[in-house]
Formats: sequence, C-alpha cells, structure tokens
Amino acid sequence: MKTTDRRRSVALRRVPSYLLLSVISFLFIGPILWMLSGSLKSISEILRYPPTILPEVFQWSNYVEVFTLQPFGRPILNSVVVMVLVCALTLLVAIPAGYALGRVRPAGAAVIFVVLLSGIFIPPEAVIVPLFEQAAQLGWIDTYIPLVLFTALLSTAPVAMFILRQAFVTLPAEFEEAATLDGASRARTMVQIFLPLVRPAIASAVVFTAWFSWNQFLEPLVYLRSQANLTVPVALTLFEDPLAGPRWNVQMAATTLSVLPVLIVFLIAQRHVVSGLTAGGLKS
Amino acid sequence: MGGVIQLSVTQVNVLAGTREFVGWDNYLRIANDPEMSIILSNTFFLVIVLSVVGTVLALALATLLNQPLPGINIFRSAIFIPALVTTVAWTLVWRFILQPQGIFDGIVGLVGIGPIPWLRGGWLTLAVFAVIQITKNVGINVMIFLGALQGVPQDLLDAARVDGTGRWARFRHVVLPQISAAVLMVFMLMISGSFKVFELVLLLTNGGPGVQTSVLAFEIYRQAFRLNDIGYAAALAVFLFALVLALIGLVWLVRRRLVFHEDD
Repeated sequence: MKTTDRRRSVALRRVPSYLLLSVISFLFIGPILWMLSGSLKSISEILRYPPTILPEVFQWSNYVEVFTLQPFGRPILNSVVVMVLVCALTLLVAIPAGYALGRVRPAGAAVIFVVLLSGIFIPPEAVIVPLFEQAAQLGWIDTYIPLVLFTALLSTAPVAMFILRQAFVTLPAEFEEAATLDGASRARTMVQIFLPLVRPAIASAVVFTAWFSWNQFLEPLVYLRSQANLTVPVALTLFEDPLAGPRWNVQMAATTLSVLPVLIVFLIAQRHVVSGLTAGGLKS
Repeated sequence: MGGVIQLSVTQVNVLAGTREFVGWDNYLRIANDPEMSIILSNTFFLVIVLSVVGTVLALALATLLNQPLPGINIFRSAIFIPALVTTVAWTLVWRFILQPQGIFDGIVGLVGIGPIPWLRGGWLTLAVFAVIQITKNVGINVMIFLGALQGVPQDLLDAARVDGTGRWARFRHVVLPQISAAVLMVFMLMISGSFKVFELVLLLTNGGPGVQTSVLAFEIYRQAFRLNDIGYAAALAVFLFALVLALIGLVWLVRRRLVFHEDD
C-alpha cells in the first residue's frame, strides 16, 4: 500500500516536468508538423484564412508535382554526388593528418592545430569572394570542383581532423611499439592497427561532413550556374511561380522530401548523428 | 587570405575587365556609408542576442533535459530535430509560417491582434530572425551541454546536498565551474555562428526594405555577386574576418578568469 502511494506521488510530481517538456518540444517540432500538414493541402486550402490545421483532403499529388514543376530528381542526385565526394576527400585528408597530429606529433604540430582551429571560427562569407575569384580564373565556375575541393579542404577536413586527432591521441603507445617490433611500417600501423580503433570517430566525422555538405547554400549558389547542376538547397528556393507567387503546398512537399532522408538516418543511427554534429557543432 | 586583402584595395570593373589600385578607399567607404551603420547595428544585435540567449537557453534546456525521467530521450530528440533540417528548409518553413495570412497571423488573430508585418523590417524582423536561428541550432548546444553535465561527478553533487546547499547554489557553485569549458566553447561557437546569418536574410527579406534587415554576411554577398563590386566586397570580408577574430580572441583572453581548471 505504502509503495503504491509513494509511486503515485513520484508520478504526480513528474507531471509539471512532462508538461513543460511537451510544450517546449512542440515549439521545436511544430514548424516541422506544419510543413507536413502544408505539404498535403490543396492550393486553395493553403491560401485560406484563417488556416486549417489539418488538410481536409490529403493531396498526395503535391509530391508528384515537386518533380513536374522542375526536375527535382536531378538536384537530389547532384547533392548526393557532391556529398559523397566531399566525404571521400575529407577522410583522405583528415585521417593521415589527424594521425600525424595525434601520434607522430611533428615539430610545430601545436601551431598547426591552433591555425586549423581558428579556421573553424571563420565564416564562409569572409572567404567566398577570393575563392570565387580563384575558381573563376581556373575556369571552375559551374563545375563541382570548387564546391568539393574548397569545402573539403577548408571547412570539413579541419573539423574531421580535430575529431580524429582527439581519438588517435587517447590510444596507448604500446600498440605502436608492438607493431614496430613486428616490422610494420608507419602507414601499415595506421591503417591496420589504429584505424579500426577509431571507427566511432570516423563515423562522427562522416556524419558531420555529410550533414555539412547537404546543408551548404552559399557555396553552390555562388559556384553553380546551370539548372542541371544545382544542389537541393538551391533548387528548393526555385518553386516560386513568377506570376502567382510561391506554390506553398508543392514547396512544402519538396522541403519535406529534402528533410526526410536526414531524419531517417537520424532515427537509425541516432548516437552517431548526435556525436557527429556536436563534435563538429563547431561549424554550425 | 592574402588574396582578399589584395582585392580589398582595388576597384574591380567586371564589365571592362580592369582593376586599379585604390588604396584605403574601400575601407573608408565602410566607415562613411550610412547604409553600413544600419547593417552593422543589425549584425551586432544578432551577434549579442544569439550568443547570449543561445548559450543561456541551451544551458537551461540541457538542465531540464538532464532529469532521469522515463522517455526523456523523446524530448531530447524533439529539440535536436531542427538542427538536422537544412537551414534553407527551416527558413522556407518559417517563411510559410510567417507569410501574410499564415498560421502566425491566424494565431494572433485569435486574440484580436494583427495581421502583424513580421518581415517588413525593424526590430520585430530582427527578433524573428533570432528566434528562427536559435530554434534551428540550439539543439546542438543542448547536446554539448548534456554531455558536459553528465560528466559532473555525482559525489560532488551529493557532498553539496549533504552540506545543505540549495538547488541554485549547487548549480552556480558546483555544476557551472565543472562545465565552464563547455560553456565557453559554445559561447565562442555561437559568436562566430551569429555572423553567418545568411540564408535567413536572403530568403526572408532579401535584406530589405532597403538594407533595413541586412547583415554583414549578406552585404558581402550582395556587393560581390549582385552588384559586382568585388573590391568593396573584399574589404567587407576582411573587416568581417578581423571582427570575428578580434571577438573570439577577446573571449579567449578572458577565459582564464571564467574557466575553472582542476589542475591549476
């Protein structure tokens, strides 16, 4: 009897906490729910005032229209290609560099590290002008070269390097000594001994890089020109009808489509996503 | 970086394809342009509001989400989800919410006010920008703080409780010193992040009316890629660069006073 009483009082004391948490959570996911609701309304319903909360008729054809108003499959494919390339280049640079900073510790490693970290704080808007000039001189405008190269080298690789260095640094030196005794070269030690041990850090680095690339707006807006080359965030802004204004229902359907893959990845690999974005929370 | 400094002292004529050296002219223009004072005050307003409110709010939310309640992970995820959405998508959704006769006008209409010109300039629009930017990014900071809060040794808290310290005093004198490094890092990230409010301005107001809702990052883009004034844009970029480094450096310098080190 006594224990149930106590249990009830504990549950009662939690009610205000849950209430407060629910209200706060609603403020954060409310816009997402409103986007979902809008993506299923007809154009006449979406323009009604006062607005309806839920769509009267679920108009799934909005999602088809996303692809008829503009070839939206193309930007999705483009974004994925850019994302994969940026991730690959980032790892290619960040793994050896992170290993060198964490385990080999060449002279001046501390200085390099500080310079890299300070780069994290520089807004992309501050460097986009000279980078654009450089890309124009090299004839790279409207190609993915500046988008992949500059993003990987200047934005994502420093963060990935930081994440990986922190992981490499914590590993015991005995592993290295044992590998050297067995006659393994430095490169082989890195790939075969240390790389498997820092897998969680690599996952974080990949998640951060993929998210960063998928998110980019200023760079593709500046570097890319032709419709066929655009990435998702830029293409998302083109659902406006020059005469009738924004087609809100189709716009919200396209926005939902751009958000969905990220949410799915989050639900599957929640832990890695959180650690990736907080480790690189750095850049957001 | 050398490139941008060099550009910043030239006048580039894109049509004629010429560049001439103009020395300090572009920088003098920053100092004297009346538009610049509006843009800079907007920029500083956002930097101050976003960095202070963003850090304090994240800390409050993290403390709230650090309770051992069943199902707490659902609430943690809810606050994190906007961080996953691309800034462009988040901004477009907010544009939909704030459009004339949208859901916000509907809500304020219920209590008989409005419609309210959310995006037509003035402090209201800047406040709207701040809300959109903070709700988008605060989840990441909350997660950083949650990690730090979980690293606070339980026996310290227990000892304080035995000594009869109140809830606030425990937070102020036990928890805060323990997580001060994380607080400082988030604060610095928020400062540099607040200079990057770009998508919001471009998609919601285009900086207008006039430059009333513009910020430095957007002005660089506008001068360089819409008005083709590359030299002036480069000078603005150098200015932004110096500003961010100076502010971050300043915070870094005072860190010794604020951050608690166990080893010291």
